[in-house]
Amino acid sequence: MIRAERLTKRYGSRTVVRDLSFTVRPGTVTGFLGPNGAGKSTTLRMVLGLDAPTGGTATVAGRSYAAHPAPLTQVGALLDARSFHPGRTAFHHLMSLAHTHGIPRSRVEHVLGVTGLSDVAGRRVKGFSLGMGQRLGIAAALLGDPAAVVLDEPVNGLDPEGVRWVRTLLKSLAAEGRTVLVSSHLMSEMALTADHLVVIGRGRLLADTTVAQLVRDAGTGSVLVTSPDADRLRTLLPTPARTAEEGPGTLRVTGLDAPAIGRLAAAHGIELHALTPEDASLEQAFMDLTHDSVEYQGAAA
Amino acid sequence: MTTVPAPYRITPARVLRAEWHKLWTLRSTWATLLAAAALVLGVGLLMGTTYTSDGGDSDVDTVVLTLYGSQLSGICLAVLGILVSAGEHSTGLARATFTAVPRRLPVLGAKAAVLGGTVFAVCLLTNLLTFTTAQFFLADTDQAASLADDGVLAAVAGNAVGLTLLSLIALALGAALRSVPGGLGAFIGGVVVLPEVAGMLPYDAVETALRYFPTQAAGVLGSATPLPDAPSTGAALLALALWTAAALAVPALLLRRRDV
Repeated sequence: MIRAERLTKRYGSRTVVRDLSFTVRPGTVTGFLGPNGAGKSTTLRMVLGLDAPTGGTATVAGRSYAAHPAPLTQVGALLDARSFHPGRTAFHHLMSLAHTHGIPRSRVEHVLGVTGLSDVAGRRVKGFSLGMGQRLGIAAALLGDPAAVVLDEPVNGLDPEGVRWVRTLLKSLAAEGRTVLVSSHLMSEMALTADHLVVIGRGRLLADTTVAQLVRDAGTGSVLVTSPDADRLRTLLPTPARTAEEGPGTLRVTGLDAPAIGRLAAAHGIELHALTPEDASLEQAFMDLTHDSVEYQGAAA
Repeated sequence: MTTVPAPYRITPARVLRAEWHKLWTLRSTWATLLAAAALVLGVGLLMGTTYTSDGGDSDVDTVVLTLYGSQLSGICLAVLGILVSAGEHSTGLARATFTAVPRRLPVLGAKAAVLGGTVFAVCLLTNLLTFTTAQFFLADTDQAASLADDGVLAAVAGNAVGLTLLSLIALALGAALRSVPGGLGAFIGGVVVLPEVAGMLPYDAVETALRYFPTQAAGVLGSATPLPDAPSTGAALLALALWTAAALAVPALLLRRRDV
């Protein structure tokens, strides 16, 4: 269990994380989502005690990360940037971390195997690709057989096979009863992996919800209706429904589902050429949620 | 009776072992230590083979003469000290290190202990080898001496102590500045050059104070005969130890609250 309570981080006059509270529970994959610059990495660094919060607290299993006698068994972490010396081999990097906790060599070899790095364990990290670097970071995270795993953008730089491997790994870690917190700026990735979502934008909590609930909250979607008699249909729609002109003879109807629109049209003898329900995508829900808090917005061309 | 493996947890001895492992799994460690040893031995041999009694250097201390290369090796060892501390920050390894040991202070302590122990051992062995080899060539000159002579062994060891403490000052500067070029600049500028420049000032008080500066104090430790106007060996050792402690106190105090 990872808990953030009113977590705040300021750098001079710039507030990166503001009054952020959320709880990450064991047994599920929690996605930590937000646009670039939303404060995700800063929050994770505060959870791991690397950055000191300006206000508020972050706890792991009830106390601060640093207060644990064996922190690597509490949380295994992969942070956003590379955290190893390029001149050291993968094996020696992991072994030096293992020594701090008295973790045996056999465990180091095990995590190298799990992450598919056994064959390159004796190579210096300097020559590693981005994907191999990510795998080494994940190996380090698993070293202490931790109760919780915190991964910052783990699929960055991985090939499709690697991405699928990470998804499977995260789900299996959660299925073993571990707490899994994984950050991403890609909603599509989280939709495939996460059960629960913590969404932030400009350092503020935007949503703490399930994937299903987020889609529901984003609206039931809309229905595209094409009819030569679109104008008359519009006047007949009951009040909760809203319409927008999509093109000549085409309406986008929200607040009324397709069967209801079809029945209404049939009852009034209105000819329909198309009746297409469109679900609100998770991507759209995320965009709507974070629209006002995107740090670097591209201007419309 | 079956032995239950000790549960995973951090102990100071384990942090020490981790830092020891880190030190010896980088090529830069071997390179800087070998370069330091080779410089002392090389310069020592050069001094031994080229020395003549009527060359005007008769008043130079024998140990200072044979270990003259330590002026150069000191820079190699300072580079090693800075790489050990600041190198973690420039590569990003510090994030992994401080995630594994979030209390942080044991890491600094272990780094200082591992570096200090290694540098002292390497310097002492190099010095003993260099002195005895150089003396082989100096036997028929007025610089002939043996390790059993008054103050010689103490100076050979004192030179190693001086280099060790100077490398720890470099480690402290690297840890405080978290930058390899920054640490190196601070060491060269503040520890090596500054006393030379300040020595040009026409004030006696400055002159006196400078005798207790790290490089001057290290020089006293490495001389078998008392240097003119210099503090005693004990005072020099105390001064150098205090400089080292003060230098290490800076990153130790900063470490706790600083973001990584």
